[in-house]
Amino acid sequence: MIKFAKPAFAGTALLCLALTPALARRAHAQAMPKGDPALGKTLYQACMGCHSVDENDIGPKHRGVVGRKAGIVPGYNYSVAVKNSGIIWTPEKLNLWLTNPQKLVPGAKMFFSVANPKQRADIIAYLGTQK
Amino acid sequence: MDRILKDGVDRRGMLECMGWAGTGALFTLSGGLASSVALEGALAAGGQSKQIGLNFLQISDTHIGFKKPANPDVVGTLNETIAKIKALPVQPDFIVHTGDITHLATPEQFDTAQQLLGELNLPIHFIPGEHDIVDLTNARPYLDRFGKETKGDGWYSFDVKGVHFIGLINVLAFVNKGMGSLGAAQLAWLKDDVAHLSASTPIVLLSHFPLWPLFPEWGWGTSDGPQALALLKRFASVTALNGHIHQIQRKVEGHMMFHAARSTAYPQPAPGVGPGPGPLVVPSEQLRSMLGISTLQVTTSVAPIAITDSPLAA
Repeated sequence: MIKFAKPAFAGTALLCLALTPALARRAHAQAMPKGDPALGKTLYQACMGCHSVDENDIGPKHRGVVGRKAGIVPGYNYSVAVKNSGIIWTPEKLNLWLTNPQKLVPGAKMFFSVANPKQRADIIAYLGTQK
Repeated sequence: MDRILKDGVDRRGMLECMGWAGTGALFTLSGGLASSVALEGALAAGGQSKQIGLNFLQISDTHIGFKKPANPDVVGTLNETIAKIKALPVQPDFIVHTGDITHLATPEQFDTAQQLLGELNLPIHFIPGEHDIVDLTNARPYLDRFGKETKGDGWYSFDVKGVHFIGLINVLAFVNKGMGSLGAAQLAWLKDDVAHLSASTPIVLLSHFPLWPLFPEWGWGTSDGPQALALLKRFASVTALNGHIHQIQRKVEGHMMFHAARSTAYPQPAPGVGPGPGPLVVPSEQLRSMLGISTLQVTTSVAPIAITDSPLAA
């Protein structure tokens, strides 16, 4: 969720308008809780029905996923929807993906979602360490 | 290889000794009211009902090929399961496998599963889990091995001693949070399949995803399951067995009893506990208490079908 009403930016309307793109980026980032990679490593077990860090499985391998373009892991048979999505897996995009993959990319293979925002952030933080 | 892995074993009557039943409770369904009683008491009560001499066993989610921390040796725990079954004083008439035979539906994984399960020397009726479908879309490799005598996308029915068994496929299309679905063609077949049966015919449903809304937030349900169950409402005894959940979950609704079985490979968390459904890592000494099989006895009158869940270790 993007929240623009941050106290730190409650300045004049003129200032807000002038900084809209930067504000949007910052507010977007702030909408995600800070993830804990150690907690994320434990939570990642839930992903391992279909994923692992270093092997393709039901889903593609995850090493290097943060910052990677979607649909490019060699040897994994992607859905057309993900392959053509043009997505770069930034933490924010991964957050949307884990919130509801079918909303972000209708027709994707993945249906698994994580309802808790902090748990999503933890998992994404862990994935960020698996470079 | 057809739908039944192996045939030709003589029926040997009721499963009298629960062997490694451990802490398993025995559930009975009588007149639409479920009761859970201690194993000892249930066996005593069973003596008052008329046995029709049918017992079978449910195994599920063997996930051959899985090798992650939740259980790096799923072949080992399946072998233990097989040894337990072979050690039973009275062998079941047959086995039902409610899906996720393999983890990735590769030829090698199917080969291993067939080889291991073949050692049971018992007929096995399979239905697929989503892990048995190549790329979640191609059921052909599964059907070529296990589905030659099936209809449509792999559904089928058969009768044993007056009990009507129905194998349903709900792993080929997903909706919402990943719930399974049956589809119009299968529902039409089901309607036709049961049309000629009397309402007193005991029905046993086999599916991978639960036909009941066990926990839709995690996709643990079947979107058009209610339509299938509506077609079976007139029957006095309906027992729906499923896999996918990797733990025992039960529900009774009217004359219908729903039962999710343990896996032989790895456990999963209770509904809603943790970030989502997936392998649950437990201390190795606890693993075998969370894996296991279910034995089912069919009787008439007092207790049409009784289910005993047995962990590999207490």
